[in-house]
Amino acid sequence: MRGWRLLTQAGAQVLGRSSGSLSAALPPPSGNRTNICLRGKNGTWWDEHLSEENVPFVKQLVSNEDKVQLASKLCPLQDEPWPIQPWEPGSSRVGLIALKLGMMPLWTKDGQKHVVTLLQVQDCHVVKYTSKENHNGKMAALHAGGKTASRFQLGLLPKQKVQIFRVTDNAVIKPGPPLYAAHFRPGQYVDVTGKTIGKGVEGIMKRWGFKGQPATHGQTKTHRRPGAISTGDVARVWPGTKMPGRMGNVARTTYGLKVWRINTKLNIIYVNGSVPGHKNGLVKVRDSKLPAFKDFCKNLPFPTYFPDRDEEELPEDLYDKNVWQSSEPSITFA
Amino acid sequence: MRHVCSIKGTSSECSEVITCPFWQPLRCMSSFPPTALPSVVCRPGRQQSTGPSEPGAFQPPPKSVIVDKRCLPGQETRFLSPEFIPPRGRTDPLKFKLERKEMLERRKVLCIPELYVGSILRVTTADLYASGKTSQFLGICIQRSGSGLGATFILRNTIERQGVEICFELYNPRVQEIQVVKLEKRLDDGLLYLRDALPEYSTFDVNMKPVSLEAGQEVPVNKLKVKMEPRPWSKRWERPKFNIKGIGFDLHLTEEQMKEAQKWSQPWLEFDMMREHDTSKIEAEIWEEIQASKNS
Repeated sequence: MRGWRLLTQAGAQVLGRSSGSLSAALPPPSGNRTNICLRGKNGTWWDEHLSEENVPFVKQLVSNEDKVQLASKLCPLQDEPWPIQPWEPGSSRVGLIALKLGMMPLWTKDGQKHVVTLLQVQDCHVVKYTSKENHNGKMAALHAGGKTASRFQLGLLPKQKVQIFRVTDNAVIKPGPPLYAAHFRPGQYVDVTGKTIGKGVEGIMKRWGFKGQPATHGQTKTHRRPGAISTGDVARVWPGTKMPGRMGNVARTTYGLKVWRINTKLNIIYVNGSVPGHKNGLVKVRDSKLPAFKDFCKNLPFPTYFPDRDEEELPEDLYDKNVWQSSEPSITFA
Repeated sequence: MRHVCSIKGTSSECSEVITCPFWQPLRCMSSFPPTALPSVVCRPGRQQSTGPSEPGAFQPPPKSVIVDKRCLPGQETRFLSPEFIPPRGRTDPLKFKLERKEMLERRKVLCIPELYVGSILRVTTADLYASGKTSQFLGICIQRSGSGLGATFILRNTIERQGVEICFELYNPRVQEIQVVKLEKRLDDGLLYLRDALPEYSTFDVNMKPVSLEAGQEVPVNKLKVKMEPRPWSKRWERPKFNIKGIGFDLHLTEEQMKEAQKWSQPWLEFDMMREHDTSKIEAEIWEEIQASKNS
């Protein structure tokens, strides 16, 4: 049975919940959402009662409507957005949800080779605002949704992944506008969170990095075993002892990754090193919380990058100053 | 003068006979013709100004300007370098498009000629710790691997009786020039067995002059059968999974051993439909991209 997907629309009073944390039985949303087809309770699917000719027609119709809905939210000015407040030291802004495309080599001007991960921002919208008091008493929260998923799971335009970003009060954005890759700039550092690749049940050498035993010199049937699991005096095994079990498919974060390059046209961020998750997986990208990069968002668009509000158009590719671009001549050491 | 050749065991012989007063007329066992003019347009350069010359005096021939035609923009080579073809997988094709864009931009700056496994190349790279800040290496290409921007090729040569292999990246910005000294193919796609072959098969003269090919001629295939060191080898090259045709196995293995090696053959592999991967559509798209980037 497929998991529940969210039903979200910006600008309307709709309940938003983070994905994956829903239980099986939920009260249906109130009032005007009567055209929801919920799976599970009825056991039906969207094209069960449609004839064969009507199925492609309905698909086309729905995709057209989706595109119209997405396009209509591209101008936040129509919705009277909240006033933009200036940056203060100690403020944190929203992050993005991006799709991991793959990895590529990148060379700097001194000839060093680095590896970068490409993260593409597809249809990332701010979906919900929770004030400080409702959230946890310390900081306000903004929910941002990632890739748009199929609407046949639920009635309206749902997002495949919704994540919570804790922001300070001066960085709140009214739900509605999309977020772009230009929210980040080359030269800054980000933290990327994603679900690691699931490996299933794994032994201790792979899961915990134990050394195992030698291959020869009389070892009987013992090459990848843990050996001792506790001492004698305790007469029990401590809870939490490292043992074989399921590995992977857990949310992990890599901190302090440098952004080398941003493609504003295709909304792609080139981030140094590797990122948890498999290709075409969704990750949460936000400004780094490491103490070395505190107050880095001084020069960055605050609270986010609005393409129609800024007068200057950004060039298609933004590079960090040390990056060697392919159109430059070969490197020579003079 | 005796012409010292570092390559032996080739099947071709040049037809010229070098004569000199002190030695017997020698048959030059060289693999390239001594008239080594690359695929060129020979234009007379500046004339030597020797002042008023007598009618019978020696006039040095005019210096010709050597231009390698294969890298000129007008050349039509329908050779698609293998790193352009993306590997099979579930990656978004957008990522490959971005990589190809970078690769084509780099190719506009640096001329990367068509190279095969078995061709002899000379690569000039920028090196911080070398005098003159550049270093050159000549060798035979034994392997091409990787796809996209990280594509590499390994060159092998023997320097002072020590075998040396260097893995170069095609799109590394420190590579300043890749010159194909001799363009040819071998019977195999990978020549890693040269590590177990006699050292004469991996030795090439570092100051070799480039060998020319006619403009329309196909790339020649060198059907050389290499002689190996005594076994054991680093890999069991006789096994069918390596599919090596360029080793003279009859000198090192008996018929029984060859039959024994055939036990590891997997004859069902060529009929496996899941391994079939037709790249013609992807290649057509890639050619279109290349044409579009050439025109822009």
